[in-house]
Amino acid sequence: MALRPLARTLTITLACFAGQTWAQQVTVITSFPKELTEAYKKAFEARHPGARVEVLNKGTPAAVAYVRETAAGSRPDVFWASAPDAFEVLAKDGLLTKYDPGVAGIPSKIGNYPINDPQGYYRGQALAGYGIMWNTRYLKAHKLTEPREWADLVKPVYFGHVALSSPSRSGTTHLTVETILQGEGWSKGWSQMLQICGNSAAITERSFGVPDGVSNGQYGIGLVIDFFGLAAQNSGFPVGFVYPSVTAIVPANIGLVNGAKNPEAGKRFIQYTLSPEGQQLLLDPKISRLPVLPETYKQAPLGYPDPYGGKIRAKVNFDSELSDSRYYVVSSMFDQTITFRHKELVAATRAIHDATTRLAAKPNAQAQRLLAEARSLAFEPVVGEDKTRDKEFLAIFRQSKKDAQATKRVTALEEHWSNEAKKNYARAVELANQAAALAK
Amino acid sequence: MHAGVKVQIEHVALAFGSTKVLRDIDLLIEPGEFFGLLGPSGCGKSTLLRIIAGFNRAQTGRVRIGGEDITAVPPWNRNVGMVFQSYALWPHMSVAENVAFGLEERRLPRSEVRRKVAEALELVGLAAFAGRRPGQLSGGQQQRVALARTIAVEPRVLLLDEPLSNLDARLRVHMRRELVALQRKLGVTTLFVTHDQEEAMTTCARIALMDQGVIQQVGTPVDLFDRPANRFVAEFVGTINLLHGRLERAAGGGDGVAFLSESAGPLSLPLAEGIPGQGEASIAFRPHGVLVAERASDAARVWLSGTVTEREFLGEFVRYHVRAGTADLIADQPHYFGVRDFPRGAQVRLGIDPGQVRLLQR
Amino acid sequence: MNSRFSTAQAAVALAIAAFLVAFLVYPVLTVVYVAFTNADGTLTFGHFASFMQISLMRESFANSLYVALMTVLVCSLIAVPIAYFTVRFDFRGAVLVQTLGVLPLIMPAFVGASAMQLLFGRSGSVNLLLSAWFDVTVPIMDGLNGVIFVESLHYFPFILMNLTVALANIDTAMEESAQNLGASGLRLFRRVVFPLAMPGYVAGASLVFIKVFDDLGTPLVLNVTNMLAPQAYLRVTSIGIEDPIGYVICFLLVGFSIVAMWGSTLFLRGREYATLQRGATGLARRRLSPWQTAFAYAWIVVVLLLVLSPHIGVLLLSLSKVWSFSVVPEIYTLDNYATVFTDSSRMIGNTLLYCGLAALVDVVIGTAIAYLVLRTRLPGRQILDHLATVALAMPGVVLGIGYLRAFRGIELPFTDTALTASGLIFVLAYSVRRLPYALRSCMAALSQVHVSLEESAQNLGATRARSIRRIVVPLMAGGILAGFVTSFVTAAVEISETILLTSRESLAPMSYGIYLYMQSIAGRGPGAALGVIAVVMVGLGSYASHRYLHGRSIALEAGRPG
Repeated sequence: MALRPLARTLTITLACFAGQTWAQQVTVITSFPKELTEAYKKAFEARHPGARVEVLNKGTPAAVAYVRETAAGSRPDVFWASAPDAFEVLAKDGLLTKYDPGVAGIPSKIGNYPINDPQGYYRGQALAGYGIMWNTRYLKAHKLTEPREWADLVKPVYFGHVALSSPSRSGTTHLTVETILQGEGWSKGWSQMLQICGNSAAITERSFGVPDGVSNGQYGIGLVIDFFGLAAQNSGFPVGFVYPSVTAIVPANIGLVNGAKNPEAGKRFIQYTLSPEGQQLLLDPKISRLPVLPETYKQAPLGYPDPYGGKIRAKVNFDSELSDSRYYVVSSMFDQTITFRHKELVAATRAIHDATTRLAAKPNAQAQRLLAEARSLAFEPVVGEDKTRDKEFLAIFRQSKKDAQATKRVTALEEHWSNEAKKNYARAVELANQAAALAK
Repeated sequence: MHAGVKVQIEHVALAFGSTKVLRDIDLLIEPGEFFGLLGPSGCGKSTLLRIIAGFNRAQTGRVRIGGEDITAVPPWNRNVGMVFQSYALWPHMSVAENVAFGLEERRLPRSEVRRKVAEALELVGLAAFAGRRPGQLSGGQQQRVALARTIAVEPRVLLLDEPLSNLDARLRVHMRRELVALQRKLGVTTLFVTHDQEEAMTTCARIALMDQGVIQQVGTPVDLFDRPANRFVAEFVGTINLLHGRLERAAGGGDGVAFLSESAGPLSLPLAEGIPGQGEASIAFRPHGVLVAERASDAARVWLSGTVTEREFLGEFVRYHVRAGTADLIADQPHYFGVRDFPRGAQVRLGIDPGQVRLLQR
Repeated sequence: MNSRFSTAQAAVALAIAAFLVAFLVYPVLTVVYVAFTNADGTLTFGHFASFMQISLMRESFANSLYVALMTVLVCSLIAVPIAYFTVRFDFRGAVLVQTLGVLPLIMPAFVGASAMQLLFGRSGSVNLLLSAWFDVTVPIMDGLNGVIFVESLHYFPFILMNLTVALANIDTAMEESAQNLGASGLRLFRRVVFPLAMPGYVAGASLVFIKVFDDLGTPLVLNVTNMLAPQAYLRVTSIGIEDPIGYVICFLLVGFSIVAMWGSTLFLRGREYATLQRGATGLARRRLSPWQTAFAYAWIVVVLLLVLSPHIGVLLLSLSKVWSFSVVPEIYTLDNYATVFTDSSRMIGNTLLYCGLAALVDVVIGTAIAYLVLRTRLPGRQILDHLATVALAMPGVVLGIGYLRAFRGIELPFTDTALTASGLIFVLAYSVRRLPYALRSCMAALSQVHVSLEESAQNLGATRARSIRRIVVPLMAGGILAGFVTSFVTAAVEISETILLTSRESLAPMSYGIYLYMQSIAGRGPGAALGVIAVVMVGLGSYASHRYLHGRSIALEAGRPG
């Protein structure tokens, strides 16, 4: 009989630890920052009294892993993230449920890109583009002009002032890279990427590291998603932002998880985010995202980018199938030849810039040849485009990581790329130095 | 207070690893007796005390208190009071709280506890210090608090583990008299462990002298002093002169025994009971039984010739170190105003009183 | 003791062992297991082979070692002179030094790191001033150097405190006899003083090495990822909980830390000089010449400023609206505090709950283990001690991953919440990794309580349990409190495990909240504000307990027998 009060206290204590699970609770798993989630949480709870929003904040890959590893029936209700590829992965694994919130007024495409999943597993909730952000004070102090296009960033004058993240670490950077590759073509795109990265001061681990660094003046220029640049600007930081012409507008999506704990609450939340009131929250200066609901732009402040108004010249029609097929190859190549070889790439770039400057003053045919060779060594991708269409080649990267054999093969390949790159960059330095010496 | 119970230690032995700390100890302590456990450090006396208290467990043997076998009883149930060498007063409690501890453990009503605490403190003369902390007391006061704490619970047996060794010399003398008086008043059987033979001799009714885990002799202080059972006892208790040699029948018959000392030469001693006629033996005699004179005077004594090597003035007597033959002997001469003084290097005669000589088997 | 051991003691020991095995050994083993197995469960060393093949992994390994060793070096450069000054000389700056010993530890390292970035980074205050005045910049925050800089300023107290105690415990007779035989000055220091103080130094240095080697938060915030701990975290969180290379890294982190710890224990064994205190202790104090005094104060002030720089930086950041490419922020505001106010009360509550409970668990287990080891003859009790202490070598990132794996799918009884999604997981994770601190405090405290104090209680009728309750624990109270505070403080500022174990914002402790807030593009001000609140809270708590302990030890000294 003494056990009953004991059992009761135990239950209460454990319940305290379990946090409060209410029937009206909707659990949202998202990679979005606190400003956004806070705003929606407050607004939703105000609109639906009695409801509670529980936010699970995780980076996109971790979020995917979390959903996958949680048992059906206790999964979070709503998955909300920028990168469409995460949603593709979830949909393929049967972790999303089809749901049509029946909100009127949202177009089906932005440019050529579908806003919602054609199969209905997820819907676009906001739009985002990619662009260049800079710190006005930094540029002034270093006497630099504001860049306009990706191509601007390969210029020697920007050496050491650029920052970007890596595709393997940031879904949105991956999209940016893919956009450039699709916009400029595989070889030219990689060449541009390599040159920009050669000009970079850092390849950050998280996409947030870039806008953060530009905001506080650590870096001069960064490749960022538009809302990072716009929100920073609107928060009073001395920064500017521009959409280059080679950019794509891609939706950030929201979907209902299959096997969710509270699917009904989840549906209500999704509905809210797509409603006019929910869409308007995106206009908050600290958030600065682009709504999918066109009529929201009527309430937007002057100068607010409007993807429907055609002000953003998005040249690229993003092909997500292509992106998906070579996803791991692109990530891996970037890491092996750029991220992990950053020091060497920068050294090669510096040498090439140096030689170029000298040759501009004192032209020399032989030196020119050497320099061209250096350029091709440093700025050409280790993998040719045809390989990326080779199904077998692509399949190597899809195998389960737990298989030691498969892992061995992948790491061997990656190691090969890494060494190739290192060799090439070193050689490029040599050649460039030779060229520079000849130009004396 | 208990009228005093007897304590029996039967065939107790204990070894730590390969070291035999106690070998087959047998002791009977009478009710109400003030009994001493004396010996050099490492002889096992403290270990024996701890076995009685229950903090060490004997490997063989039993301990009985008042006839009851307590060998398997845990320390907190034995009701034997122990005063530790370090006093072990708890610094976070006041004097009164320290003394009250055991009474509280016995679940006595609070009024009863207060009364007994006051009584105990009164008994040791520290009633005014009840509210103080141990750190505010002198060494002697702390010792008395430790005592009060122990006697407050009216134990059947009182165990004192070198209680005076942390006090300075004068306090020690004073405290041992107080201890004796207290014990007499309470009548509780008391075991007193010490390494100081003067302390044991002046306080205890009987003493067990131990060495290397073995009891060398049990007896009254006079027994130990006058009739040492073996060489160890003879040397430990008081100062003694030891001569080794052979016994022989005295030339010319009669009642004499010739003792040929290896170092001091022949001595003729009267045949006393228990002295065998021949064989190897040692004789022992105390310094106060030896007369130092210019020449042999008293015929009743046995005389040796020697040279004074050292002279120590001890107030009540002068201690002479005399070399006779190859033996170094000690002779104590009572000192009073005007007595004859022998300087170093003086040639003297030593007169040994044969009645004071003890024979020790080799 | 009465008997070799009792069933009660054995039961307690088994319970503690079960706790440690379940919440320390088992999760770590699940991590190590993955490093050695294939997808089909067969044993393989293939993952290790792959690891060695990847140049990034080799580089990370080398970098982690380099950073850890360099940090120990820099910490020594900071700590050794200060320790020597305060012990050797008649120095009134002792209070300053004591604050030096505490300040770095109450600020979460990763919070300080971002502030340091603003002060010392490429476009930070210092470099802006330097380039304006002298046209030079100091790349002190770039790459590995930044990590070394930040970690050194955070961890040097470990060496400072250990060394100071060791120096202060040197028997004056040792020094005086050496002087009597003709030694003085540097020779005296080299041949007598330093060797005697060496154990204290090694204890502190090995601790710094292990903690820096395993640290996740600082490299992550400084964006240095070619080190082992961040690589493990990134690989496991990005590629998914199945990436075996990540687990190989975890195994290396654990293995290396254990080796470092074992090495230092071996070195220290037989060199416990400090415990034999006979006469007066402490080196003879000398007077300082005016020049020397000035120099000493100057050095300490410089170090103090450096040590305070993260705190100052965070404070400025918390009060700023915009701090970009300028020496100090331009627009000041209190809005940040308002922003975090509502959130913070919930997070403070969580931190108090998790860290308080964890510290409580730690002192209870710590006292129990200390008692079993020092007061009983229970066979195998040393294993408990070793098991608890080895938790020090478990990197937070490994334990976090281990918990997620090992307790996947386990639910809290009576509720339908997963253990890994509840607050209880924090209590478990924190308590297991802070146990060594509490254990050390409890051991030290118990060895100060002479066994006769306990025996006299038993002699007067108290059973073992009662004498523990009435005598031993009250006399240990000071050490127990110190252990509680250390456990609490280190748990409150830890981020490595927290990052991995936090799923729901409502259950997040303060450290996670700070981390989250710092990822806001609208400015890190709110994050810094929360950081300031955390530091103030932790600092006040430490100070209060320090005062209480100090007062109590005075009172107890008065009560101790002469």
